[in-house]
This record gives sequence, structure tokens and C-alpha cells, in this order.
Amino acid sequence: MIEVIGVSQRFDTQRGEIHALDRIDLEVHENEFVTLVGRSGCGKSTLLRIISGLIRPTVGAVRVAGEQVARPRRDVSVMFQRPALLPWRNVRKNVLLPVEMLGLDKRQYTDRAQALIELAGLAGFEEKLPHELSGGMQQRVSLVRSLIQRPKVLLMDEPFSALDALTREEMSVELQRVVAEESTTIVFVTHSIDEAVLLADRVVVLSPRPGRLERIVDVPIPRPRTLGHNAHADQVSAISAELHDLLQPAPQVAT
Amino acid sequence: MVTPVAAESAPTSARRRRTRERIRAFGLPILALAMIVALWWLATVLFNIPTYLVPGPDLVVSKMIDLNSYLAEQTFVTTKETVLGFGLAILLGIPVAMSIARFRLLEQMLYPLLLAVNAVPKVAIAPILVVWMGFGLAPKIVMVVLLCFFPIVLATVAGLRSTPSELVELSQSLDAGEIKEFVKVRFPWALPQIFVGLKTAISLAVIGAVIAEFVGSSEGLGYVIVQSGASADTALAFAAITLLAIISIVLFYAIQLVERSLLPWAEENR
Ligand SMILES: Nc1ncnc2c1ncn2[C@@H]1O[C@H](COP(=O)(O)OP(=O)(O)O)[C@@H](O)[C@H]1O
Ligand SMILES: [Mg+2]
Repeated sequence: MIEVIGVSQRFDTQRGEIHALDRIDLEVHENEFVTLVGRSGCGKSTLLRIISGLIRPTVGAVRVAGEQVARPRRDVSVMFQRPALLPWRNVRKNVLLPVEMLGLDKRQYTDRAQALIELAGLAGFEEKLPHELSGGMQQRVSLVRSLIQRPKVLLMDEPFSALDALTREEMSVELQRVVAEESTTIVFVTHSIDEAVLLADRVVVLSPRPGRLERIVDVPIPRPRTLGHNAHADQVSAISAELHDLLQPAPQVAT
Repeated sequence: MVTPVAAESAPTSARRRRTRERIRAFGLPILALAMIVALWWLATVLFNIPTYLVPGPDLVVSKMIDLNSYLAEQTFVTTKETVLGFGLAILLGIPVAMSIARFRLLEQMLYPLLLAVNAVPKVAIAPILVVWMGFGLAPKIVMVVLLCFFPIVLATVAGLRSTPSELVELSQSLDAGEIKEFVKVRFPWALPQIFVGLKTAISLAVIGAVIAEFVGSSEGLGYVIVQSGASADTALAFAAITLLAIISIVLFYAIQLVERSLLPWAEENR
């Protein structure tokens, strides 16, 4: 579904050139859930922006559904770290924003909006304004909004990292439940190993400066997955330990 | 899955708090005003200030009652000039601000010019406006526009520039196009700041109308003040000044009322 082919990204800044990504090759299959982990500044957000078409890579190309990405696509949806809700729109109208922006027929999406709102545990809050909701609920609205147009690809950039630890766990368990009914290919950026292992079919590990693809780790644990006690605890801890080692800063080696 | 439930009692207690706030918002200024008027009156009586220098509030009020229909007419004239000029300043200022916010080149061209025009003391222009446009409505409106234009443009540009980056990225990721982005995101986001500009501008608008009336007019409260000066009728001047203050306050709160009803979300957000 997503092919990242030899992508490198450099930024010209006042303090010189930043080499953000270096020759990234990655393929994400249809309906796969891939998490991107790496230390902060290793280019995770940049890679997501490139896949979404918000920025063009300096070198290389991205294909989604077989077509080269030159600009944001209608079937690719992005969810950000911050909820990015419009403060003057209530929950329902925020959810329907992509429908309006994409020029789709609103009547065809009102039922779906309601169903998703209920699925995300937001029933009864349809008429509330964002400031009346907690951070976790705002992010649920943001999730529902990013699913409304039935995107083929959902790109999520640390969507739960601004939430407190408990809300965060709850959200990641729920995310699986909500997207289980959608056929969506997901790339999910996180710097939490627990989150990465809980959610992913495969975990992509990036190394910093410049951002390189370090390793891809398979997570062959059956779904639905939960946190806490489960039958696959050994497997989970083995994978977590492997990721831990990969994410440790490499000892300084002269090259 | 646990569904969160809104607390039942929250709305009623919030409403009660709001009523209390409203009573305070009106009551306290009125109390302050009453105290000042009382002091004023006391001072004129205690220090025996001659009434042609400072008339007591009683004289001012009786002047207002004696000349009520005349003063009402003059109040209407000044209000009309103010509102028309203010409206025109909005109609001109917002499109200019939109273009400045959108096109860097225009900003570089227009901003220094706007600053220069704004730096000119408007009182100095007033007599020239009379030469150009005579004693009618036009020079008053132009003067009001001159005073209002800058704060409106400034606030609108600042508002349009303040869209959070994640909202810009969101609308870009939806490939919405600039017009939709503007209508659905940038402009509504700018509205609270635009209203800040409008509230600054409305007080200046009244001042503009009065300045224009000072230099060339045969009606309006500014003209009344000039006339009362010539005949040493201080009570009349004070009456006109009081009415000007009332116009300012009423227009200011009218704008605030529009703001509150249009942007109920803004208060909680900023
Ligand atoms: N638009 C930009 N201009 C300049 N430098 C950028 C830009 N976006 C990202 N960078 C730089 O690229 C590197 C990777 O950033 P980012 O992708 O945000 O990392 P991550 O999301 O993994 O924390 C950082 O050093 C960052 O400063
Ligand atoms: Mg990031």
C-alpha cells in the first residue's frame, strides 16, 4: 500500500544543512499496522510528512496505492500529536470537517459520523465544544475525524504522547478496537516501546543523525492485544528488550 | 468501555456564577460613576467653584433636560458619522489586511506606508479635508476612517497570522485549497483578534468624528462644544462631553455584545 523508495531529506536552515533522513526504503502492506520508533529528532515526523505529501523528499519517492505521491492525497489521512480541533465547532461538526474540506456529500457521512462517535465512546458529547472536553476526549474526536472519509492510509504522529499515562494506555487499546472495523493501513509514530509493541504488526526502528532505517522487528502476537496480564507476556518482553537495545544510544565509534 | 458522563450539577452552578458576574460587571462601574459624580458635586459646593468654570452635575443635567431635543439631534448626527466611518473602515480594512497577510510583497510595500500615514497627527489633516470636501458628511467620515483603519488592519493581520501550525497542516493534508482553508479555518480563528481591533477602533472613531466637527461643521456634538466655548456656556460643553462618552460606551458594548453572541467559544479559549 505504501512504498518508500530511497528517500533522503535535507533541510536548509540558518545554522546549516540538516540531514534528517538518509536513504529510507520501506514497504507497508495493505491493512498492516506499522509503528515507527526512534529517539526524538531522528526524522519520524519528517518521514510521515513525506508519506502524506505535505513535503516532497529531497531524493527518492513515495508511492501510495501504486501512485507516486506529489501532494496530499484524499485517501490518506493524518492525525497529529495535538488534537487540532476547531474551537468554534462542536464535536459532530469537527468530525465532519474533512467531509467539507474534501467537498464530499455531507448527508452521506452523517450516519457514519454518529457511528464512529459512538464507537469512540463520545456518545452524548456530539454538541459539546472542544474546550468542554478533556485532553483524552479531544484526541478521540481527532481520531474519529481522521477516519471519517474512510482513508486507505492513516498516518499518526505520536497521537497519544500528550496524554497522561493511564489515558494513553486506554487510548491505545481502544485504537485497536476502533480501527479493527476499518480497513486502513496505519503508520503510527511513537517513542514508547510499550505502545509500539502493543499496536504493531511490525516495528520500524530509526536511528538518529541522519535518520536511517535501523531494523524492522516483527510482532507476531495474535490480536486483540491488551496491556497487563496476557498469554504472550514472554514474547512481549523479548521484543521489548530487543527494541530497548536498538534504541540505546550507540557507543561513539570513530569512522 | 466506560462512557464518560457529564456532571449534572455543573450547568446550574455555572449559570449562577455567570449571573453574579454580570451583576458585578454592571453594578461596579455604576457605583464608581455615582461616587465620582457625588465627589464632583461636593467639590463644586465645598470649594465654591464658579459655575462658568466647573458647573455642578445638577447644572449639567438640567442643561440636558432643557435642550433635550436639540442635544438628541446633535447626538444622532455624531453617532451617524461615527458608525458610517467605522463601517467603511471595516469594509476597507479587512480586505487590505487579508492581502497583507497573504502576500509578503504587499506587506513589504504597504506596511511602511501605513505606518507613515498612521504617524501623521490626524488633527493636522482635518482643515485640509474641509478645503477638499467642504462642510458636509464626507470629511467627517474620512476622518473617522483615517483613525479606525490602522488598528483594524493591524489586528486583522495579526489574527490571520496566528493560525496554529497544526491547523494549517490539517487543512493542507486535506488538500482543501486556499479559499476553503481561509473560510473554514484562518478567518474564524482570526475573529477574536479582529474584535480586539474593532474595540480599539470604535473609541477612536468617536474622536475622529469630533475632530472633524471641530474644524468645519454646523452640527454634531463637536460643534456644540465649540459653540459653548465661544459663549462660555460650560454646562452645555459638559453636557456634550457626557453625551460623547455615552456614545463611546454604548458603541463599545454593542461590539462586545456582537462578539459574545458570535464567538461564544472565544472567551473560554484565550
Ligand atoms: N521544516 C524543517 N526545517 C528544518 N529542519 C527540520 C524541519 N523539520 C524537521 N527538521 C529537523 O529534522 C530533524 C528530524 O525532525 P523530526 O522529523 O521532527 O524528528 P522526530 O519526529 O523523530 O522527533 C530534526 O533535527 C529537526 O530539527
Ligand atoms: Mg516528531
